[in-house]
Formats: sequence, C-alpha cells, structure tokens
Amino acid sequence: MKRVHLSSGKPVGIGIAVLCIAAATLLGMHVAHEDNAHPSSDSGVIDAEFVHIATTVGGRLVELPVHVNQHVHKGDLLYRLDPEPYELTVRQAEANLALARAEVENQKRLVAVKTANSIVAQDQTTRAQTNRDLAARTVERLSPLANHAYIPWQQYDQARVALHDAEVSLKQANQQSAAAQVAIGDLKSSLAAEAANQAALDHARYELRQTVVVAPTDGYVTSLQVLPGEILAPSQVLFTLIADDAWFAIANIREVNLSVIRPGDCATVYSMIDRNASIRGHVESIGWGVLSADTAGIARALPLVPREMDWVHVAQRFPVRVRLDHADPALLRLGATATVEIRHGAACR
Amino acid sequence: MSRPSPLSATPLLLLAGCSTDAAPSFSLAGAYFPDWMMCAMFGVASAVGLRVIFVVTKIDSILRFRLFTYSALGVIVALSIWLIWFGP
Repeated sequence: MKRVHLSSGKPVGIGIAVLCIAAATLLGMHVAHEDNAHPSSDSGVIDAEFVHIATTVGGRLVELPVHVNQHVHKGDLLYRLDPEPYELTVRQAEANLALARAEVENQKRLVAVKTANSIVAQDQTTRAQTNRDLAARTVERLSPLANHAYIPWQQYDQARVALHDAEVSLKQANQQSAAAQVAIGDLKSSLAAEAANQAALDHARYELRQTVVVAPTDGYVTSLQVLPGEILAPSQVLFTLIADDAWFAIANIREVNLSVIRPGDCATVYSMIDRNASIRGHVESIGWGVLSADTAGIARALPLVPREMDWVHVAQRFPVRVRLDHADPALLRLGATATVEIRHGAACR
Repeated sequence: MSRPSPLSATPLLLLAGCSTDAAPSFSLAGAYFPDWMMCAMFGVASAVGLRVIFVVTKIDSILRFRLFTYSALGVIVALSIWLIWFGP
C-alpha cells in the first residue's frame, strides 16, 4: 500500500529508468565494439606438425630402442629392419659389378687382338699389291718378246694368269683388311653394362641404408604398439613422431573479425591443461580456404544448390594459426583445447 | 524485513575466483563454459539482488518501469564485469 502511494506520479522514477536503459545501451555498444576489435575463440586446439615414420623398404623389425610417448632427438635411432636380405643384394650387386668390370677387361683384350689382326690384314694388302705390281710388270716385259716369238707363248700365258691371280689376291686382301677394321669394335656395350651394374649396386646400398631409421626431427613418439619381430611392408607407417620444435594453436575466428587480424599480431593462448598459465604467441597466418557445404559437390558436375529460404546466415569461421613463442612442454599436447585471445590477454599486456 | 539473501552473496563468491591471468573459459564437470555466460549469470543475480536491496531500503518505491530498470541494471553489471575481468 505504501509503495503504491509513493510511486504514483513520481517523475524521478522515469528519469532513473531512462538513465539506466541509456547507460546499458551505450555500455552494450562499447562492449560489442571492443569484442569485435579483439577477437577470441574458446574452441581452439593446440596443434603441431608430425611425421609418419616409415621407411621405403620392408622386412622384419629387429631393433626398436624407442617406446611410446618417449622424447627423441633428431638423428636418434628409431628402429632397424633385418639388414640381411639387403646385404645379400649388395653382395650380389658387387659380384655383378665385378663381372661387368672383368668383361670390360676381356673386351679390351679382344679389341687389342682385333686391332693386331687388322694391322696384319693391312700388311697383307701391301704384300698383295706388291705381288700384283710385279706380275703386271712381268706381263708388260714378256708381251713384246712373245709377240716376236722370242719366248714360248706358254711362258707369256703363265705370266698373264699369274697377274690375274695376283689381282684376285689383292682384291681379297683389301676386303679382308676392311673386314678386320670393322671387326675391331669398341668398349661401349661393356662399359654400359658396367655402369648399369654400378647403379644397381648403389641402389642396393641405398636400400641397405634405409633399413636403419633415425629421427628426422626432435619430437615425441606416439601410437607405437608393436614389438620387434613385426613384419613391415615397404612404406608402412610404424608410428607417428610429433615434432616439438614448433607448437601452434588453431583458433576458428568468424570472418567478420578477420579484418582486424594481421600476421604478427600478439596472441594470448591458454591450454586448458592449465587454464591459469598464459602462453604468448603471435599470429602466423590465416587459413585461405575452408570447405563450404554450399559449394561442395562432385567436381566437373553441376553445382548442387539446395532449395531453401534462410533469412539468418551464420558467419563462416576461418582457422587462424598462432605460433606459440615459448611454453611449458607439459601444457602442449596435440589436440588439447585452447582458448585464444588475439591482440589482448595476459601475455600481450 | 532485512532477511539475508543467498543470491546477493553468490556473485561475490564467484567473482573472487576470477583472475585476469586465467583463460576466459571455465571448466565445470568436464565441460567448458564461456566467460560471457558467467557474466550473464552475474547480471541476472545482481538484478535480483538489487531488487531485494531496493525493496528493503524503500528505494524501489520511487522507481517506475521496474522491469526495464532492473533489467538495465543487470545488463550494466554484467557488461562491467566482462570489461573489468575479461575485457582487453
């Protein structure tokens, strides 16, 4: 009863109401502006790069000095496959190479013999030429004597046959010389075979080296479940190595807030493993593309456009990649929930 | 009439747990709740608390448009908390 009596016709009450509503509106606008200028996300994840550890050759796993969740340094031995088959292949390739080298030596001797034969054939050509010239001169001398019957015709006839014989011999000697010259050949085929065997040996040695797998980077061994004795196929992944030289937080930020974010901006990241420990980072990059349900479809087919009448559209978010500067390793686990505040937060003050 | 209100004490207790150097996300029973949700709870609680205080101190009797007034006061408190504790 008393409240009704006092409140009736009091302009002060209206003034207070207007004041409060105006203050709330102005404060709301200010907060909205601040929130847009300092984007943040509470659905980020801690991220890192990783390597699927495998080797290009297969075989039996004989040595596995690492265990799951262990930290390894770059160059540490991760595992070793049974090298015996690859050593045997190397030995076979070495034998093949030795065979090819011996063949080269053999071919060299053969070429030397054929070169000597060619010289002999050349000399025989010279001799046949000399004999033919002598026979020709004999016929030339005997021809006038035979015409005047100073010598028996039989003798002149024998000289002419001897000349014909010498001409045939010269022709054969020339052909033999040419054939001997062609038959010398060269070392090309045996040298090519040697090069092929050398390459096969190098490849076998490369495969032997691939049976030893070392850590390509510092990191943590994860999802390792097998023991030595396992048979691995070539390129089969044995475990995943999470590189710990660089850690990131991926924050999905609405597109309307992306315009204020620049690479290099300071960011405060909290790993929810310990929500009281702020981690300083800086924006490294903003994702250039996400798959949108509106544009998804089979490539080269017609666009898939659903029939709909949406009046409210939810903002697309893009992954912003924040590189963490320094952080306690205990806070960093790939996939951990992260809260990311860009251009503000405890680490950026 | 001056009965102790359990609602008016709750925001103060929760505020004591807030720290500017912690993540603006709160873990409760394995789920994370955002900072603005906490601020909204404080706003509602403070609006109710102010209503109780004003009724007790008779200030309520001079007010008009009480629903809008108390709602605006709750919004002001919630936004102020956000600005002070979580704002940039």
